[in-house]
Amino acid sequence: MTMWDGLLSGLSVALQPAVLIYSLFGVFLGTLVGVLPGIGAMAAISLLLPLTYYISAEAALVMLAGVYYGAQYGGAVASILLRLPGTPQSAITTLDGYPMARQGRAGIALFTAMVSSFAGSILGIIVLVVLAGWLAGLATRFGAAEYAAMMVLGLVAASTVGSGRPAKSMAMVVLGLILGCVGTDVNSGAQRFTFGQTQLMDGINLVALAMGLFGVAEVIGNIRSADSHGRPRRIGLRELVPSRADLRQMPGPILRGTALGSFFGALPGTGSTISSFLSYALERRVSRRPERFGQGAVEGVAGPESANNAASITAFVPTLTLGIPGDPIMALMLGALVIHGIQPGPMMLDARPEMFWGLVISFGIGNLFLLILNLPLIGMWVSILRIPFRWLYPAIIVFVCLGVYSVRGATFDIVMVAGIGAIGYLLTLAKFSPALLLLGFVLGPMIETNLRRALLISRGDPMVFLERPIACGFVLVTAALILMAVVKALRHTRQPA
Amino acid sequence: MQRDQHDLFGGGILVALGLAVAGYAAMHYDLGTMRQMGPGFFPTALGLVLAGLGLTIAVPAWWRAGERRGFVGREVLCVIAAILIFGLLLGQLGLVVTTALAAVVASIPAPKPGIVWRLVLAAGITALTWAIFIAGLRMTIPVWPWSL
Amino acid sequence: MPGTFSRSLAAIATATLMTGAAAAQDWPTGPVHVIVGFPAGSSPDTIARLIAEPLAERLGQPVVVENKPGAGGVIGVQQMLAGRAGHTFGATINGPLTTSPRLVPDVSYNVAEDIAPVALVATSPLVLAVAADAEADDLEGFLELARGGDLAYGSVGQGSGAHLTAELFANAAGIEMLHVPFQSYAEVTTSIMGREIDAGFMAPSAAMPQVEAGQMKMLGVTSTEPFPQVPDVPVMAGTAGLPEDFRAELWNAFIAPAATDPAVIDRLNTEINEILEDPQVQERLLSMGWQAAPGTTEELAARIADDTEVWGAVIDQIEAN
Repeated sequence: MTMWDGLLSGLSVALQPAVLIYSLFGVFLGTLVGVLPGIGAMAAISLLLPLTYYISAEAALVMLAGVYYGAQYGGAVASILLRLPGTPQSAITTLDGYPMARQGRAGIALFTAMVSSFAGSILGIIVLVVLAGWLAGLATRFGAAEYAAMMVLGLVAASTVGSGRPAKSMAMVVLGLILGCVGTDVNSGAQRFTFGQTQLMDGINLVALAMGLFGVAEVIGNIRSADSHGRPRRIGLRELVPSRADLRQMPGPILRGTALGSFFGALPGTGSTISSFLSYALERRVSRRPERFGQGAVEGVAGPESANNAASITAFVPTLTLGIPGDPIMALMLGALVIHGIQPGPMMLDARPEMFWGLVISFGIGNLFLLILNLPLIGMWVSILRIPFRWLYPAIIVFVCLGVYSVRGATFDIVMVAGIGAIGYLLTLAKFSPALLLLGFVLGPMIETNLRRALLISRGDPMVFLERPIACGFVLVTAALILMAVVKALRHTRQPA
Repeated sequence: MQRDQHDLFGGGILVALGLAVAGYAAMHYDLGTMRQMGPGFFPTALGLVLAGLGLTIAVPAWWRAGERRGFVGREVLCVIAAILIFGLLLGQLGLVVTTALAAVVASIPAPKPGIVWRLVLAAGITALTWAIFIAGLRMTIPVWPWSL
Repeated sequence: MPGTFSRSLAAIATATLMTGAAAAQDWPTGPVHVIVGFPAGSSPDTIARLIAEPLAERLGQPVVVENKPGAGGVIGVQQMLAGRAGHTFGATINGPLTTSPRLVPDVSYNVAEDIAPVALVATSPLVLAVAADAEADDLEGFLELARGGDLAYGSVGQGSGAHLTAELFANAAGIEMLHVPFQSYAEVTTSIMGREIDAGFMAPSAAMPQVEAGQMKMLGVTSTEPFPQVPDVPVMAGTAGLPEDFRAELWNAFIAPAATDPAVIDRLNTEINEILEDPQVQERLLSMGWQAAPGTTEELAARIADDTEVWGAVIDQIEAN
């Protein structure tokens, strides 16, 4: 069967009225739930999973995929309007999206996020259709050495994300790496920094960390001042639409973001985190006026949003074609299919082509629904900002607590948020970048585990990082980046500005 | 001259934290060798790097002037207390009572005097929370003290 | 003021608790909570929900499945013990009842004293999986390879069922292999297919998709009878010099706090066993890689004791090395 036959049979599955309705339903619910602070795609899908037990497998996966995209966009809304990111990806979106909102350009930020997500997804689907076979092979070509080398590259390249002194940025990355060490060490099974708490054995809860560092810290800093600033007026449709200058800045970041996202998404792991940080770092590097980043640059929202959406599309490649879920969300999706008696795997493309292509097409349709549904809603979301902050923030605090609780039903995590929130406030006060802390936290355990695993498998021979061509490539690029940074720093000290 | 106290203290805390982490890890976990790293290797190395970075942040700050940003103690205290109340009492008192208590405590530092609007706000937030999380999302949380 | 308030609320709560502790024939008097120590969508969760649905019908009360994931299922058991005995139960895999108390330093319960076994639900063996183009075609060949060179195998973590089974196997067969811990079967699979490691003991359903696609093969199964999901895979026991009683199985079971009324436990055991007789339930379990395993509470207690001993010996050996 050729790809076109496959696409046609897929179309007949995807265009069934029931499938369309569940897709719309999923996108709608996902957006609503995702806007709640702390409830990200993962929690939204787990909460809504039981609803899918009674519908067909196609409809179930399409609905859950809709919830996934919806929740992702909902997370971006909360990040842009109130600086409440639940994932490292949306933490990146806050870097420029939130300053835009404070400047009264919330509508434009949401529009940019919406359109870039949509473009990233659709382009991601095209990449998936054209390159599915190649992308599927990528996963098995990446061993421990490749992952370790790639993550180090990602970390080094993305460390330029924070504005301010390089030492402060690096300190945050390292602090994140240290926090990532908390919990069971995969390689040895040792309990590190758990201090007798079984709740810490699986590490610090990522959502608690993100909510504390960003949301709680921001609320504390704003209580006194927020209502004395003018709140945005009622916003007309014209102010939601970006100016021509804004629009002109979008295609480049979207294309580069999609390319990064499509590649990294296909690698099981945290492809979407790496690609959104890399996209941001890349946009800042290619920009002619990098000082605008962090102050409300449209590219800082467009690039990462398209990257993380493209990544969430190609992340389905290893899940569906190998039966290998790349992250907990994909594992949950896979679980949903298994519950319906479908075992995704290498046979799926041959045995159930209509299913595979039907899903791919529904992803596109789901994203279209997301766009149609949310463009008119932008005005409604923005009007949240018109509620006086003194009415809003106690609710935010309560919702943050429940959002964190929803991840794994642990009140322990809520108590953690209190401590992390206080630290987050101090970090913000002293101008340290919490986004980099999150990056270090997410990548750290993967770097350590894979580095040590690679050395274990090579029986202690460090040459493994140079002998394997892909790993060697990453090592060389990393070395070049570091060299460039050192040369630049030296030049700075020699001719003081 | 007003020194850059934020970097001075921030850097200083990082030095202390880095040394504490490295010391604790080196004492409690096996370091291993370069070829076969133990669980202590990474945390120890990272702790030392953090301490080093802390130094490069703190030392130059001594000779540098910096602005001083105000610390909002009351806000920190009330918000953190509200979260702690929520985390510690949810399992004891159920969702409704905990939410109301946390909302009242959180609203204390709001820049508008009066107790009535705070109680109204807490009631409103509690109702909204119940509607979203219990009626809507059907999360399995005890709602009342007696439904534990 | 908040102190007295919460105290009076606690008094109300205790009062309802007292009236709730009625005789076993009225049981259950309210919603039954089943605490699962794994996240929504995981296989222990799916199995718990598969049982919970017909159970609710039979008991005439809602059965609420609550996920309290963490520490390999230990947190779920701890949360169950914090609940109200009689209306709080746990659904767990074998680890938290057998090996975790040895491996996790901060386990707060004592299995023999704090936990009452209710019913075994399902069992699953592991299969020894290798890449399709591996030199060995059967267990004999694999052991020969293992004696010749240093093979590496993947598991889903230090002290996981996959790790301990592999060590049990290596001991029985008199071989040594390098252990490479991963975090999921997905990672183990990719690593085997990329020829980074040589083998892995895996859940049959985790290996099946790659086997069907001709990218992996299964050399043996650790149950004493052929496993219905992979009927063609030879049983390891008695082949290639392995002892006749070689067996390693993972299982799922329902448990209760030790304070639970024995009559309530009996009732629940009967209901679960009857549910497991439903062919549809059996089929659903099998599609997920689990075989229904009805039995008495005593049989479950014996299994917990046996496994604790067998795996304890394996852990002793690993720690000695």
